[in-house]
Amino acid sequence: MKNLIFKEFRLSIHPLFYLVSLFGILILIPNWVYFVAIAYILFITVPNVFTTNKAQNDITFSILLPVRKQDVVKARIFSIVWLEAVQLVVAAIFGYLNHIIYAKNNFLMDPNAAFIGFGLVMYGVFNLVFFPMHYKTAYKIGIPTIIATFAAVVFATGVELFVYFVPFANLAFDASDPAMVIWKAGAFIVGLIIFLVMTTSAYRISARRFERIDL
Amino acid sequence: MNLLKVTNLNKRYAQFQLRDVSFQLDEGYIMGFIGANGAGKTTTLKCLLNLTHPDSGKIEMFEQDFGRNELALKQHIGFMFGGVDYYAAHTLASILDVVKRFYTDWDDETCRYYMNHFSLNGDKKLKELSDGMRVKFSLVLALSHQARLLLLDEPTSGLDPVARDDLLEVFQELVEDGKKSILFSTHITSDLEKCADYITFIHNGRIIESRSKDDLIDAYRLIKGTLDQLSVLEGKLVSYKTHAFGFTGLIKSADITHPEKFALDVPSLDDIMIYHVKKENHDEKSDL
Repeated sequence: MKNLIFKEFRLSIHPLFYLVSLFGILILIPNWVYFVAIAYILFITVPNVFTTNKAQNDITFSILLPVRKQDVVKARIFSIVWLEAVQLVVAAIFGYLNHIIYAKNNFLMDPNAAFIGFGLVMYGVFNLVFFPMHYKTAYKIGIPTIIATFAAVVFATGVELFVYFVPFANLAFDASDPAMVIWKAGAFIVGLIIFLVMTTSAYRISARRFERIDL
Repeated sequence: MNLLKVTNLNKRYAQFQLRDVSFQLDEGYIMGFIGANGAGKTTTLKCLLNLTHPDSGKIEMFEQDFGRNELALKQHIGFMFGGVDYYAAHTLASILDVVKRFYTDWDDETCRYYMNHFSLNGDKKLKELSDGMRVKFSLVLALSHQARLLLLDEPTSGLDPVARDDLLEVFQELVEDGKKSILFSTHITSDLEKCADYITFIHNGRIIESRSKDDLIDAYRLIKGTLDQLSVLEGKLVSYKTHAFGFTGLIKSADITHPEKFALDVPSLDDIMIYHVKKENHDEKSDL
């Protein structure tokens, strides 16, 4: 597995894709929808990684290697999860700066620990839709990207509306009341668990589908 | 030792079917896998490696079941499908740096030897190489991990005659030690006349012949005669073509009863392939 992950970052994923995580700087825009800042990875990085790899005949190369087909899927999903994690770490850094710079709370959800938790679930939703759809053919990228991005955006919109209109949710996940820190930490932990469950399921379904394909 | 043994391989698609494909390859030999376009060569090779899942059949490599020992066996085989056109914008050195990590028997010294032997420069990008050089790079990958069985899908197609001849010489050098074997598919039968020890001929998903090249050529004769003679022989011929002066056909050597009455000639592999394909196509039309 570690050799396949080495291959992912040596040949398949250009280091420039790390720069996409710098869209996290948009979290410094006052009164904005911060989910957009962490969604660029879904709009730009994921489809470009898969399109570039299709152009470079990555599947042809990978099957030359003495590996299981399921490990090819695992290494790719791991690489994308790594980039998602980098994106959220960058977002957390700029979220902290946002907190220091602006005295007033954001109009919509603040970039706090709960936001990172919901961001993880947004990535989980994307992963659960995109990877199984793509690995059904190991060829189609456009439709899976559109549908998975739509699902992630619907989720993020739902979270913003939920936190804006439901008073308790607003208090627990958005307002900077020190007594409510536990709710934000809880949202982060639950978000992380949901992300892991969704991404693991995405891997299992994708690996099964990829295994069935006659290459 | 059998490096490869395929028994009753079947794979059904909507429009095409591999039917009871069986053949075997001993160590130290080159086997040519011939057939017209769409005959089932690539599908068979992909089934051998489980890239395409066969419906039934048994595949053994190094006398071990491939399905049960896939990862271990892949350490000892090298394969090439559909041209070497992956990661073309990367240097050969960066591709080697990745590939070497996957093989326990990878030998840098052997790798350097074959890179020099084939005049390949690690700083060059794959896209800067000619088709022939790309195939050679693919061989470097296989040979550096001490592969003993090479499965190559049309390695010579698209190469000019000089590059083809050069590559065929390389194939012959590789099997000289008697430990490695090469199975390569092609529809350019002249390649096989130069270097193959065995021929497996597939048509419409069925193996028509699988035996040594000399036996195969000995087993058939081109036969020429008048149209009157054709009526006597017709049932015995594999197939034939008629023309203004009579007919030319392919016949099994064992079926020739009065050799003195006919003009007989040694067939080329092309002749054997063409007349068999003609027969199959004729039989299919008759069935319809």
